[in-house]
Formats: sequence, structure tokens, C-alpha cells
Amino acid sequence: MVNPMRYRTYWISWGALLALTLVMLLTETAPLYHAIALGLLVIAMLVKATVIVAWFMHMRFERAALVVSVVGATVLTAVVLFALIAPDGVAVLRHTAAQ
Amino acid sequence: MTMHSSTAEPVGPASWEGGVSPFGISWQKLMMWFFLVTDALLFAGFLAGYGFVRLANPMWPDRTHVFSLTFIGFMTFVLITSSATMATAVGAAQRGNLKLARTVVLLTALGGLTFLGCQAREWTNLIMDGARLSTNPWGVPAFSAFFFMITGFHGTHVLIGVTILTILALRLGRGRSSAAGVELAGLYWHFVDLVWVFIFTCFYLI
Repeated sequence: MVNPMRYRTYWISWGALLALTLVMLLTETAPLYHAIALGLLVIAMLVKATVIVAWFMHMRFERAALVVSVVGATVLTAVVLFALIAPDGVAVLRHTAAQ
Repeated sequence: MTMHSSTAEPVGPASWEGGVSPFGISWQKLMMWFFLVTDALLFAGFLAGYGFVRLANPMWPDRTHVFSLTFIGFMTFVLITSSATMATAVGAAQRGNLKLARTVVLLTALGGLTFLGCQAREWTNLIMDGARLSTNPWGVPAFSAFFFMITGFHGTHVLIGVTILTILALRLGRGRSSAAGVELAGLYWHFVDLVWVFIFTCFYLI
């Protein structure tokens, strides 16, 4: 039988997720440079995702083989997908701006 | 990562020599993870397409004018809390307390229904403002198309999750589901919350 995690761990994670959400909402409405706000939002998003996958979904305690196969493969595919598409978006923007 | 195994299976190179699962989990759990990978890539595809259109468009509606971010924040709070209750249900089931697990699973389903009600309100507000799949009053037709598509797909996943949790609660009440079943449902529900983290950030904030 899998060793169950302590209930307390789940609720600490809950608190962390709520705090991060609050930070994100404040970042959205605060008068910050766009690049800084964007960076803060992306970092907060990735930390929230890590908390959910690692503790709620138990990946923190799974074998490396599973983590690499599931998380590694998904992240890599998503990053490659975006990296291949994004430059075209910028190109379209420049093309319509040039006209 | 820690190297302890949940069974007496070998860990390390020996786990790849046949006869045991190298991933150290049941086939049911492995298949749920593989399904979640495919579902994650579905939403990754949507968000990549959305990213393309955002980059290509010099103009995009101001989200603070279209939505109440307080309300969206409340929706996020509901989903995060439902994830915490789901994790509590998994923990309770693993400790053998299936009665508590059943109660908390129902609480999680209630959270999901609350989220869906909020999302329905959002859709109603936008439709009443004139938003459609092909047009909207904020100057960029693609905006509402992406909104309805992405939140629609996510909301459908939430509804499926609520259905799964309701069936799970019924089965737990009859002694027909085990801790493993609760764990599998838990993985799906946390995935739904995970997708919302990305949608919330990319569509509502950035």
C-alpha cells in the first residue's frame, strides 16, 4: 500500500496556490512594466503547475522513469509546438504592420 | 526523485529487465497518466494557436473591461479548493476511511458544479454583450472564438469530472470502489485544475 501523504501537506499546497493566485491578480492590476508583469505571471503559473503535479498528483514520490516519460515528454512537446508556431505569429504581425 | 517503491519490485537497472513495470505503478494508473498526456497536448494545441493569434494581432481586448477578474479569481479559488478536497479524499481512501473519502468526493463534485455555474454566468454575460464565435463588440473577432472554444473544452472536462466523481461516490457508498479508484479520479480532477492554471494565466491575465 502506498504511504499516504499527510493531510497537512495538501492544505499547505492549497495555501501556496491561493497565495500565488493573489499575487497574479495583483500583478495584473499593478502599474508594472509589461515585461516584468509578464515574467511574474509566467513564473507564478509554472510554480502553481509544479505544486499541483508534484504534490496533488503525487509525482514528487514517483519513479524517475514515470516523471520523465509523462512530465518531460509533455513539457518538451508543448515547448517545441509553441516554439515552431510563435515565430510565424511575429512574422504575420510584422507583415501586416509593414502594409 | 526518491527511489523507494510501493511494492517489492526492483528499482534501478533491474526494473528494465522484464517481468515488472519499470514505472512502479499499476497499469490503470499508468494508462490514466498516458491519457492525461494526450489531453494536456490537446490544450497545449489550443493555447499554442491562441499564442500565435495573440502575437499576430497588434490589438487585443482589455480583459479587465470584458471580465470581472475578481469573479474569475473566485472561480480559480473554487477549483483550487476542490483540488485540495480531492487530495484529502485520496488520502482518506488510502488510510482505509472510505466513508470520509465518499463525503469529500461529493464535496469536490460540488466545487466542480459551482465552477460550472460560474462559467455559465460568464458565458451568459458575454453572449448578452454580443459575443459570438465569429464576432464580438471588442474589435477582435478571434477573441470570443478562442474564449468559447477554450473555456468550452475546459468546462466540458469539468462536467465529465463531476460525472466521474458522482459515480465514484455512489460506488464508494456501495463498497464497489477502492482507494485505487479514488486515486485515478483524483489524477483526472487535478489535471482539470492544472489546465485551468494555464488558461487563467494565458487567456485572462497575459
